[in-house]
Amino acid sequence: MGTGMNEARFMELLASFGAELSRWPEAEQEAAEGFLASAPHRTKDIWESERAFDRILALDAAAPSSLFLEAKVLSRVRLSAPRRLASVRQVLAQRTQWLAGGALAASVAVGFFVGYNPSDRITSTQMTAMEDLFGSASSEVFLTALTEE
Amino acid sequence: METARKLRVAFVARPEQAARRLQDSDRRMWDPDEELVGRIGSGDRLAAAELVRRHLPKMVGLARRMLGDQAEAEDVAQEVFLRVWRHAANWRPGQAKFETWMHRVAMNLCLDRLRRQGRNAGEVSHEAPDPKASATRSLDEKQRRQRVSDALLGLPERQRAAVVLCYYQERTNIEAAELLGVSVEAVESLLARARRSLKTALSAERADLLDGLETG
Repeated sequence: MGTGMNEARFMELLASFGAELSRWPEAEQEAAEGFLASAPHRTKDIWESERAFDRILALDAAAPSSLFLEAKVLSRVRLSAPRRLASVRQVLAQRTQWLAGGALAASVAVGFFVGYNPSDRITSTQMTAMEDLFGSASSEVFLTALTEE
Repeated sequence: METARKLRVAFVARPEQAARRLQDSDRRMWDPDEELVGRIGSGDRLAAAELVRRHLPKMVGLARRMLGDQAEAEDVAQEVFLRVWRHAANWRPGQAKFETWMHRVAMNLCLDRLRRQGRNAGEVSHEAPDPKASATRSLDEKQRRQRVSDALLGLPERQRAAVVLCYYQERTNIEAAELLGVSVEAVESLLARARRSLKTALSAERADLLDGLETG
């Protein structure tokens, strides 16, 4: 018998969720499975009867949606495209702010890397960090700046 | 590999922030629609088509079972996807699964329609089945499906919503409770009452419905 499950609770859950244990509260599924495996015949008979009723309810299965309906939904989505244009403008506005912030952060970071490196040599970890923070081209820009110095 | 490397780098550069981000990502549930919604938010119509293909049958199914009318159900489903399209750019992942949000929108649209039309428990336009008639002839597949559908529509609104969400839409008890704005115990109680009523409503035809399953 599974731990934390008794007949009263099993019957309660069966009356609510039906025989399909995957529908039961997740925390109680394992205990219910254990309980059912070693349950008396009387309990198993009730569970079987509920399973039959579940099959009746499943008669009202969802029909697959038609291609026509899919096309209709997508055409309505297309009609609402002007809303997107407004969003694109918002995104562009945000991008401008990000670019300004990014440039500032990049200059601070380059200053940090140049000033902090005690050996005057760029380690591979620092290069990787640069690439991760500012993209793959950033390390090249950084090296060029150092060489020119 | 790439993510792990980035996290390692981030731990070196900003250990506290990176640790917090890792905890957040552990806490966040995995959402199979997250990437798709992100693309829809950037105006990707192919992603919109994919999301429609993925969820349209479920949205129509939910609305049809709640409203009892295929045409109305399709209207509701269309409205759900319009809202997806409008709100995808503002979607904040991690708070709830996107599918749960879609269910919330669909359920609210259905409940609004039912209330506007003054329809509620048991006020179903379908005729109740005649037990004598069903005893003398076997039901075909469409009729069997209609009987179950009618029994569902005869349930009070909240019981029906609980059954639709937990039995047909495969929502967990926790998600159903959240969607209906009640406790998980209340969902259990709604389901138990609904199941009892459904059994009573279908009792006269139970054998016939089961026979149909075995022969069909």
